[in-house]
Amino acid sequence: MAVITYLEAISQALRDEMRRDENVILLGEDIAVFGGAFKVTVGFLDEFGEDRVIDTPISESGFTGAACGAAVEGLRPVVEFQFADFIACAFDQIVNYAAKNYYRWGIPMPVVFRGPAGGGFRGGPYHSQNPEAWFTHVPGLKVVQPSTPYDAKGLLIAAIRDNNPVIYFEHKHLYRRIKEDVPDEDYVVPIGVADVKREGTDLTVVTYGAMVHKSLAVAERLSREGAECEVVDLRSLSPLDRDTFLASVRKTSRALVVHEAQLTGGFGGEVAAIIAQEAFDVLDAPVTRVAALDIPSPFAASLEDAMLPTEEKIYTAAKNVLEY
Amino acid sequence: MSKSKPTIFLDPALDRTSIATDETISRDQLAVWYRTMRLARACDQKLAALYRQGKIVGAVYLAIGQEAICTGVVSLLNRDDYFSTVARGLAGWFLRGVEPKHVMARWLGRDVPPAHGRELGLFFADIQQYGIAPYHNGSMASWIPSGAGFALAFKIRKQPRVYIAFTGDGATSPGDFYEGLNFAAIHKLPLVVVVENNCFAYSTTIEKQMPVENVADRAPAFNIPSEIAFGNDIFEVRRVAKRAIDYARAGNGPYLVEFKTFRVRGHGEHDDMGYVSADLREFWEKRDPLRLYAEYLSGAGGLDEAEVKAIDDECVQTVEDAVAWAEAQPEASPDSVTDRLFAP
Repeated sequence: MAVITYLEAISQALRDEMRRDENVILLGEDIAVFGGAFKVTVGFLDEFGEDRVIDTPISESGFTGAACGAAVEGLRPVVEFQFADFIACAFDQIVNYAAKNYYRWGIPMPVVFRGPAGGGFRGGPYHSQNPEAWFTHVPGLKVVQPSTPYDAKGLLIAAIRDNNPVIYFEHKHLYRRIKEDVPDEDYVVPIGVADVKREGTDLTVVTYGAMVHKSLAVAERLSREGAECEVVDLRSLSPLDRDTFLASVRKTSRALVVHEAQLTGGFGGEVAAIIAQEAFDVLDAPVTRVAALDIPSPFAASLEDAMLPTEEKIYTAAKNVLEY
Repeated sequence: MSKSKPTIFLDPALDRTSIATDETISRDQLAVWYRTMRLARACDQKLAALYRQGKIVGAVYLAIGQEAICTGVVSLLNRDDYFSTVARGLAGWFLRGVEPKHVMARWLGRDVPPAHGRELGLFFADIQQYGIAPYHNGSMASWIPSGAGFALAFKIRKQPRVYIAFTGDGATSPGDFYEGLNFAAIHKLPLVVVVENNCFAYSTTIEKQMPVENVADRAPAFNIPSEIAFGNDIFEVRRVAKRAIDYARAGNGPYLVEFKTFRVRGHGEHDDMGYVSADLREFWEKRDPLRLYAEYLSGAGGLDEAEVKAIDDECVQTVEDAVAWAEAQPEASPDSVTDRLFAP
């Protein structure tokens, strides 16, 4: 065990899997010589060579398609999008090729797409987005987003070993801020299994990614005020572990859904609909969502802070649900 | 580059109304290729009829007039080489051993592998059995990047294999054409792009698709070799494609071949082709690849007309038998509709 950051956990998972399996290769912009825009792959070129750590031209559709083809041939490519926002340029290869290949032909495509996502950095409209809902709508893709170093390592190893395309969103805000003890040896956090990050009896908060930490902070504050929140970290959006959050709602009778992506058409709508349909009989309050405003990510601090969900917004919404 | 000459007619240097070869090719081999092309033609003619009868739903897309290209190119491949093509390369599928009865069953939406009713007969991929690599149809450029990926795997594993992307003139405009060839050229990947320039992207002429006269004029951007050839002459196809395949297999990088040809039927059978002039049809009718090949066979090829006719008749019968078999196959069970979304 060693205390490592969320970023180091991602790096460790990649390195360990590349040592374990020579079929694992990396493709992305500036990942080899430069070690990646966020330095996730520093030292990889020296250790694994340029056949396995490939600096690509700025052409997301091109290297995504290439990764998909190589995956069909038995390699296990991990594609790094420099920012998750840029995945838009590879949309067709992901949603029309990777997602549908197995359903059409029964031919597996073991490829991972890593996307550094999320705002709070004054990155503006093209370096701040949370595009997970673009992909959870597409059958055939697995979509995950870890919130802790332990989950980051275990989910990435699971993604690399999975025989399907997996989109792995990693939140930039967590890269160097979140640390914990992580086992040195390899282990898997299974895709499709949620995790209860905090137990409670009064309100279920269903969330994922960076919002897990904001939700946990709000839960501590509410605890001091006498209400105990259960915080369910989905970890995987596709496939979705409904049982864990439905069991929690059956216990608490109240549900708040929190994500950093915009509200409308966001993944929280799906979670809220499932709760409304499957747990209507136990609900004591309307299922409520907290999410970003329905606007592009603005640059200026005053605007971005107004757009993103904050602890204050989560707290207010949680109070409303608790006091309904 | 002159824009005055419509690209719908051939450069005189490419033009011919008879074909010949310097290769020594056995009568049996010549007959195999002819049978392959004829089978594709017979299959397509039957598909058109089934579509008009309402037995094939949705749409049907034929390869008539383009049979020599895939036949010639696939005839040069090793068994462990891959290629991808839509049904415009039907003869290429047949040459790899794909059975006409399965092609028919797929168009009819029957429960046959590998798609089990999930995909049109237009698309087919089966790596294990036929070495036909999976692709998708965002556009027909979509499999140039993925083809570069197959070629990347070959290169990393130091395997002397090649991947052939069969595509069309229309597919040289989407970004994937550039992104895929750019990547392949940088890494010198064994990717051969075979462009079947059949005069139209659906209804849109070459002049409205690109500011150059030939697709091959785009190749210098990637610093790769390219050639332009007459695609209705199977022997010329083999001559040119062999240079491309040998070059790629030797580790020199990608190669672009543009074959001039003509799509005799519409984009699909729903297309009335009102945008095609009578002159153009007539020009290409005299240069039909099967006509040219049949004339060669019964002349220098050493088969007599009766032998050629026997192959024609056999192909028609094969197709009739294929349809009968296909129609007797069950449709996929509705219970299977959510099966096979994820690989284990």
